[in-house]
Parts: sequence; C-alpha cells; structure tokens
Amino acid sequence: MAPLETPLPRSRGVSVASIFERYGLIVFLVALLLVAAVLSPTFLRPANLVNVLTIAAPLGMVVVGQIFVILVRGLDLSVASLMATVAVLATAFKATTNDAIPMIFAAAIAFSAVVGLVNGWLVAKRDVSPFLATLAMMIILQGVRFAYTGGAPISTLPPGMGFLASGRILGIPVNLITLALLAIVFGIVLHRSRLGREIFMVGSNPKAAFLNGVAPDRVIILCHVICSVCAGIGGLFLLGYVGTVSNWVGQGYELDSIVAAVMGGVALTGGRGNIFVALLGVAVLVVINNLVLLLGFPIEMQLIIKGIIIIGAAAFYRTRLA
Amino acid sequence: MSAVVAEFRRNRLSLSYVIVVALLILLVAAGGFLSDRFLTWRNFGNLFQQLVVLGMVSLGQTFVVLLGGIDLAVGSLVGASTVFIAHFLEWRPDLLWLALPLALIAATAIGALNGLLTIVLRVHPLIVTLGMSSIIFGATLMYDKEPGGSVPRGLADFSYANLWGIPVTAIVLVAIFALAGLWLQRSRSGRSIYFVGGDREAARLNGLPVNRIVVMAYALSGLCAGLAAIFLTARTGVGDPRIGTALTLQSITPVVVGGTILAGGRGGVLGTLLGVLLVTMLNNLLNFLNVSSYYQWVIQGLIIIVAVSIHTTRRRQ
Repeated sequence: MAPLETPLPRSRGVSVASIFERYGLIVFLVALLLVAAVLSPTFLRPANLVNVLTIAAPLGMVVVGQIFVILVRGLDLSVASLMATVAVLATAFKATTNDAIPMIFAAAIAFSAVVGLVNGWLVAKRDVSPFLATLAMMIILQGVRFAYTGGAPISTLPPGMGFLASGRILGIPVNLITLALLAIVFGIVLHRSRLGREIFMVGSNPKAAFLNGVAPDRVIILCHVICSVCAGIGGLFLLGYVGTVSNWVGQGYELDSIVAAVMGGVALTGGRGNIFVALLGVAVLVVINNLVLLLGFPIEMQLIIKGIIIIGAAAFYRTRLA
Repeated sequence: MSAVVAEFRRNRLSLSYVIVVALLILLVAAGGFLSDRFLTWRNFGNLFQQLVVLGMVSLGQTFVVLLGGIDLAVGSLVGASTVFIAHFLEWRPDLLWLALPLALIAATAIGALNGLLTIVLRVHPLIVTLGMSSIIFGATLMYDKEPGGSVPRGLADFSYANLWGIPVTAIVLVAIFALAGLWLQRSRSGRSIYFVGGDREAARLNGLPVNRIVVMAYALSGLCAGLAAIFLTARTGVGDPRIGTALTLQSITPVVVGGTILAGGRGGVLGTLLGVLLVTMLNNLLNFLNVSSYYQWVIQGLIIIVAVSIHTTRRRQ
C-alpha cells in the first residue's frame, strides 16, 4: 500500500545512523540475553541456545524472503498461508520413503515460485496494492488448501522430513545451515549484485530507477518470487519441525516476519534494509518470546509485548534516521 | 437521496457503483434462478441480519481508508468490546444504559489512540494498528480466554426484533450509513477527510487541522467497532475474545469492492454498503447452493483482485 508520507530517498551507503542502527540492535539483543541468563542459568547453555535458534530457523527463512518484498515498498501477507499450503502439498505425494524428498522440495519450490509470480504480476502489472494482492492470495490459498484436504489433512510424510528439523551435520542443526546458506546466497544477491542495486533503486525511487534503465516491474515480480520461494522452503522446514501437517502450519508467520524485519531495521517505505540485520530482528523476537516464558508470564503476554515492540521499533528507527 | 446523488457527482465513481449494482442484480437474478428459497422475504431478513456486523466494521474501515490509512485493530477491538459488554452485563444486568455507552466510549478512545500514535510516532498505520491489535488481543485473552458473560433479555430481543418484517438492526445500520454519507458529503469535517486522504501536505498548507482529522477518523473506526460489538453481543449473548479475528481482513473487502482506494481520498460509504451487500449476498447464495466455505474463500480472494483491478484500470484511463 502507499506509504502515508514518502521520505526522501536515502543512499544505502554506510552512515553513522546505519552503524548505530546495526549496533543498537546488537546491544539490545545482548542485554536481552543477559537478562535471560540472570533469570535462568540454563538459558545461555549452548544446547538451549541452539534449541532457541532451531525454533527461529523457519521464521528466519521467511524473513529472508519478506525483506525483498518490503525493500520494493511492498509486503507479503500470503507467506503463512503459502507455508501451510506447501505443507499440505508435501503430503500429496503420499510418500513413505525418503526418495520422494527431492521431489517434494522441487514441487514446493515450483509451486511457491508460481504463487510469487502471480503476486508480483498483480502488484507490478495490475497496480493492485501489495497489501490487497497478497491478502487475496492468502485467502485463495487457504480456500484451495481446505478444499483439497476437506478440512482434515492426512499426514503421510517421508521419515526423512524430521531430519530437516532435528538433524545435524557436524553437530550443527541442518535448518540453521540451510538458513545460513539462504541468507548468504540472498545476501550476496541483495548487497553485492547488480540485481540487488536495482532492488534498492526501485525501492527508494521507482521513477529514478526507471530513468536509469531499470525495469521496476521486472524487479518487483522477481522480489515476490524470491519471497514466496523462501516462504515455501521455510514451510517445509517448519513442517519437519512440527511433524504433522495441519491446515494452519505457519499461522502468524506473516505478521511475525514483518515484525522481525521492521525490528531489524528494514523500512516499510522501501529501499532501506539489510538481510543480516533483519535476521538479528528474528533473534530478538524469538528471545523475547522465550524470555516471556522464562519470566513465568502467561503466554498471552507475548502478544502484548510483541505489539509494544513492533510499534516501538518502528518509531525508534524513524526518529533515529530522521 | 440528494446526498447519494452528490456523492456520485463528487467522486465520479458512478461507473464503479454501476458495476457493483449490476453485479448485485445479476446475483439476485442468478439466486432466484438457482434456488427457490433465495428470493424469499425470510431469506432477505436473514441476510440483513448477517450483514449488520460486517457492515458496521466496514463503515469504520472506510473512514480510515479514505484517509489513506488502514485499521488492522478493528477485529481485536470488536472481540475485546464483546468481552467487556457481556461480562459487565453479567455482573450488573440492570446497568445496560451504562454498559453500552461505556463500551462505545472505550472503543472510540482506543481508536483515537491508534490515530494519535500514527501522528506522534510518525509510524505507518499498518504497523501501529497491527501492534495495537496484538496488544488488545493479548490483554483480552489475559482477562478471559473462553467466551463468557451474558446479556439481559432486552438486548437479545433487540437483535431479533423486526419492524414491518425488516430486522431493526438492519434499519439502524442503514440509518447510520445514511448519517455517515451525509456527514462525509455535507459537513466541513466530513469533507476534510477527503482532502487529507487526497493530499495530506496540501491539506496542511490549506490550514486544515490534519492531525485532528486523522485522530477523528480512527476514533470513528473505533466507535464503529464498538457498535458492531453491541450488535454481536446482542445476537450471540456472550463475549468472545476471538470473535473478531476474521473481521479485520473481512472488513477491507467491501471497502475496496465499493471503489474506495487504499491510497486514500477517493470513494465513499455508499460503495462500502453496496460492497457489504455484494459480499454477504454472494456468501448467502453459495450457502444455498451448498458450495463449501472453502470455495467461498477462493471466491472472496478473486473478488478482491478483480475489483481492485477494475478500479485501478479505470483510474489509469
């Protein structure tokens, strides 16, 4: 949707403000970790930290994609619905052996790419606001998914899917390795490649980008495809973690991914953000959720704290850079 | 009626309205053809009953969208208000005259707070109302996780009362829409919403109290959520923290189908009323045809895309 007030385009070069942005978040995260450590001696143990990170990994994958769409002044509300739909799709093969896993991944990625293509086409070519296009996609996917499962999905998954959540290679959880790979690959795309420069140009000033020979439509569609593919992959990993398919796998991830990105300094007005800082936002969000439980607060308190933090973080970055 | 005509002229949206009205007529005709129970007085009574809550919330959403904003907190606010009303009335059923105004005042205040936060913090309304929605929902759940409370007989009767065969709640709804339409078209404060939504900076330079207008629009959205909660509590008899969860996004569909654009400054409440009619009637007909609610979701999504595509294409031309 159109931002209320469009700020002046900002360069993405390193400035004092952006450094503060980066380290401010790290300081906040360290403070949170210290509080958690004081409250619970077990919190800072490597085993627990790895556990917390494992829970965060699928969300991190979604955020890696979400940031691409937000950078071009959009947002994707359909990611959670896509995650659940991909999870249901994974059962469609009725596979009982691990041979099917590559096929499941290929099908999930292809399906997600098509969803992203439609989202991007609606936004770029049909001028539908990203909010409405992805909202409609969210509802449509939900309907298709429920119509397919009849409300009660069957859970036939290859046993190897559990490996995605709990498996380790050289002692490092597979899902963290995957998240790191995704972040590095897309980090290079975003911060080191020509496409990345075009994304920032389109996000900070579409008209100028167009005059510079960049096709904003193409960039926007590509961003939506990347977002959906990341969400699809995240959906498979979350499915592996949850173990059973439900029609609501990933529920709430659309908002959590936006919250994490905003906390990680990605501007909803587009054109400003960094993948790795956004992932710090994921860490902060997950640690806060964990902390609420450690403090013995009821789980509903997470909702209240999350709400305060999303508004506070958005205000913080606004004033920091104003 | 003249207000309606004025709205047509003012926003040059007549074609959008014509499309929606044509679709409505098509729907009624198809309904009469496909089901012998659709075109009955009894069914229209039910239909009006069904659209009251969605209509009320969508009306509030219209004010905010006209302003170029969005209110994602309405669903949580409706849920919280039903919990407040039902529990208050369970405690003191005799204080109905106090409970309802209190609920409306509280809902209006929370709406105003949304508007105030977007101004003071200069944060996008999407983020502000999303955060507020989370806070309201969490707070309501901390008070009570399950549906509870009760309402006195009189309030329950109100929701099922008929006047000349038409549900009283529907008459109230239409009256409120008419008032809102008149206010938007005829009053200075109402028209200023269009100015601020069209070009906030220009409105400011023209000396309009932009901040006050923004807060007012969000407050109205809160008030509408409170009214919707009264209708809802009267009908269901309980306060349910989760009852509004789906309403937030549902409330946006009729607004955009009715031709109000998310960028703000264009559209109106007549379009929203037609949009609510269209969405509710379609779901009603699909129920008659035994189409599962799953496909109804798909159709709702397609409606959003098609409606917005039509409106944006028209704008381009």
